[in-house]
Amino acid sequence: MKNKLTFLKDQRILLSFVIVAIVAIVAMINPRFIAVKNLITIFQQISVIGILTMAMSMLLISGGIDLSIGNIMVLSGVVMAQIISTSGNVALAVLAGMITAILCGVLNGVVIAKSKCIPLIITLGTSQMFYGLALTISGGRIMSFGGAFNAIGKTKLFNVFPVMLFVLMAMVLVSYVIMNRTKFGRRIVALGGNEKNAFLSGIPVVKYKVIIYGIAGFFCSVAAIIFSARIDSITANAGTGYETNALTAAIIGGVTFDGGKGTISGAFLGCILMGVISNAMNILQVETYIQTIITGAIIVCAVVLSNLNNMKKNK
Amino acid sequence: MVEIDYNNNPILRMNQIKKEFSGVYALSGITFDLYRGEIHCLVGENGAGKSTLMKVLSGAYRPASGSIEVEGKSYETLTPNLSKELGINIVYQENDLVASMNVVENIYVGNEKVNRFGFVKFKEMLEETQRQIEELGIQMNPLTKIENLSVSDQQFVKILKALSVEPKVLIMDEPTSMFNVEDAAKVLKLTKTISEKGIGIIYISHFLNEIQQIADRVTVIRDGAVVNTYQNKNRDIPIATITTDMVGRPVDTFYQKEKQPIGEVLLEVKDLQLKKDSPKISFQVRKGEIVGFAGMVGAGRTEIVRALTGADSKYGGEIRINGRKVEIRNPGDGIREGFAHITEDRQKLGLMLHNSVLENVTIIGLRDKIKGFFIQIKKFPPYVEKLITDLRVKTPSLWTEAVYLSGGNQQKVVLAKWLFIEQEIYIFDEPTRGIDINAKAEFYKQMSGLTKQGKCIIMVSSDMPELISMSDRVLVIRDGGIDGELAGEAITEQNIIKQALGVKKYEE
Repeated sequence: MKNKLTFLKDQRILLSFVIVAIVAIVAMINPRFIAVKNLITIFQQISVIGILTMAMSMLLISGGIDLSIGNIMVLSGVVMAQIISTSGNVALAVLAGMITAILCGVLNGVVIAKSKCIPLIITLGTSQMFYGLALTISGGRIMSFGGAFNAIGKTKLFNVFPVMLFVLMAMVLVSYVIMNRTKFGRRIVALGGNEKNAFLSGIPVVKYKVIIYGIAGFFCSVAAIIFSARIDSITANAGTGYETNALTAAIIGGVTFDGGKGTISGAFLGCILMGVISNAMNILQVETYIQTIITGAIIVCAVVLSNLNNMKKNK
Repeated sequence: MVEIDYNNNPILRMNQIKKEFSGVYALSGITFDLYRGEIHCLVGENGAGKSTLMKVLSGAYRPASGSIEVEGKSYETLTPNLSKELGINIVYQENDLVASMNVVENIYVGNEKVNRFGFVKFKEMLEETQRQIEELGIQMNPLTKIENLSVSDQQFVKILKALSVEPKVLIMDEPTSMFNVEDAAKVLKLTKTISEKGIGIIYISHFLNEIQQIADRVTVIRDGAVVNTYQNKNRDIPIATITTDMVGRPVDTFYQKEKQPIGEVLLEVKDLQLKKDSPKISFQVRKGEIVGFAGMVGAGRTEIVRALTGADSKYGGEIRINGRKVEIRNPGDGIREGFAHITEDRQKLGLMLHNSVLENVTIIGLRDKIKGFFIQIKKFPPYVEKLITDLRVKTPSLWTEAVYLSGGNQQKVVLAKWLFIEQEIYIFDEPTRGIDINAKAEFYKQMSGLTKQGKCIIMVSSDMPELISMSDRVLVIRDGGIDGELAGEAITEQNIIKQALGVKKYEE
């Protein structure tokens, strides 16, 4: 057990420590920061990116990556909005949006698994396709949901906890269970660890890749619902930057580019860290432009810090 | 032959070198010297301290105490740069060449010859390489890309690269571990040529025959200390003595396999063709039998077993198991039909290096052995513990990443994952390559155990003693087909090599 514990020390405990430290420091400067209301706001702010981070983490652990998740989310949202505005049938809209997103993921998976090309490049390309599709459907306009998702966006349980918080938690839990408690998940880890070994161990590599990209697509559609629920509308270029933010959160959380490594809980902590930082800067009234610089610097520091062990190892 | 002058000062002398890692002595006072033009072989089991000692020499490690004398000058420790400046260079076991660059570029990478404007003088480097190649008697076009060279030629390039900086001390770490007999002989010859130029060579190898052939002196180390240093002037140092020193107790170099009763035909392969024009392959393996696949590297042995287990596709032919015709399209089918495939190259094919021993062992067993859709890894250890203990895998815990185990223990983990699911037909591809004697013995014991249970084994191997002592029959593979079969007394090294090289069958 010794090694497993040191691993914990390396990644997640370190992250938790950093998060607590930042919270403590900011709270000292401005106590409003740790008001329950603000803490809930933080989670509300990271709900979309959190779900996308789960998708990205699962893909990274499987040895893949998907830079189109931002645009899959947008395309899925646009499809939903289009159907709501034409038919008013919310259930149908949600179903169509989910199917669209899953199909996008499956398309990525099929091309990547069959062509054996680098997923980074393939998904850069498909990302453009999905963006273009979203533009075509929306005609570049802002698409309204007509309050269809208000139940998710505005409702609060016990008048305190927004529903979207529970959606986020549910998705984190689902990805945790998939990766840690199912044979499928363990084999996905194996696939990311060493694809050749996985193949020789009888794992149907192509099928598993397609499935995991499909699952990631599904996560994007859930993110699309949360996204739309918050502002009751969506535009085709709303997804810009989400894929890199999700990637960053996952990497900060100890998921690696090499595959086979990383944890869902770590990635979620990475997400919380990013949320805490951005919220703290708002509260401290740091200028927006400066915020961007600081966010970047913190990301670099966090990644370097989490890599310290590797640096030592190579000596 | 150049006489080595042992009266002169040694070119290199390491005095009482000690090195500890978190309180454990990896080297407990090693003294080792090397003379100009000498080949000094360093042998010892994996983990004996050979690599650590060499890392002290290359400047990667700082010794806890002791001194290093190079040409009479004494140093407390070396740094990588100092080591290079003093003329110490290493040919590493791993391939550190750039596949997409040609021979010349690789040799001079990081050490390019430039003119005064800083531009690379390619022509000069080419000429210099050409001269070296001729001088050493190698056949090679210096403009060939590395990816188009054979494994042995790549090894030559690595050696040429090491020589390009004109070293005084050359360390060769298992330079022949990936080679067949023929190529190994070439490397040995080259090593001798280099030593005759006055360069001192530290030669590390597991192959004791080689060492007997080329060593001027042999030093055996065990548990971080020198056991003995032998002169080998007449090339007759007794191998048994070295092995005894290495393991600390006498070992039979030839494993004594218990004879098993051989049963009915378990695996029948009929007219198997890998590609349209490749030869048809037919053979049978019976219960309790070990069939050895001999042949030169590249003869097609691995390809045949890969086609059998579904790792590669095949063109035609029939496979029957227990008389029943089976269709195998991918490794999943192969596993379902009872194949276990202990692949060559454990690091690339056999393991998830950065996952735990536990995860590695259970990866295949997840499918059928462990029931249910939802699982909890925490509950796996009882499944695996006995297996790991039986195989004597030395690991700090089941949660240790495979990358931290020694080669022998990694290989045992690969075996463990296939023993875990209890298959019928075990295929071993170079099972004991690069692992120490004790781990080898464990493998042979396990193989015997499998045949005792009525399972059958196909063993692809380039290790002659292993082929001869373990196999009930040996099929010699050449040019992708079965060239001959040897059984019983006819399984000798000479017969195998003759057949593998295609020497006329009835020339006597």
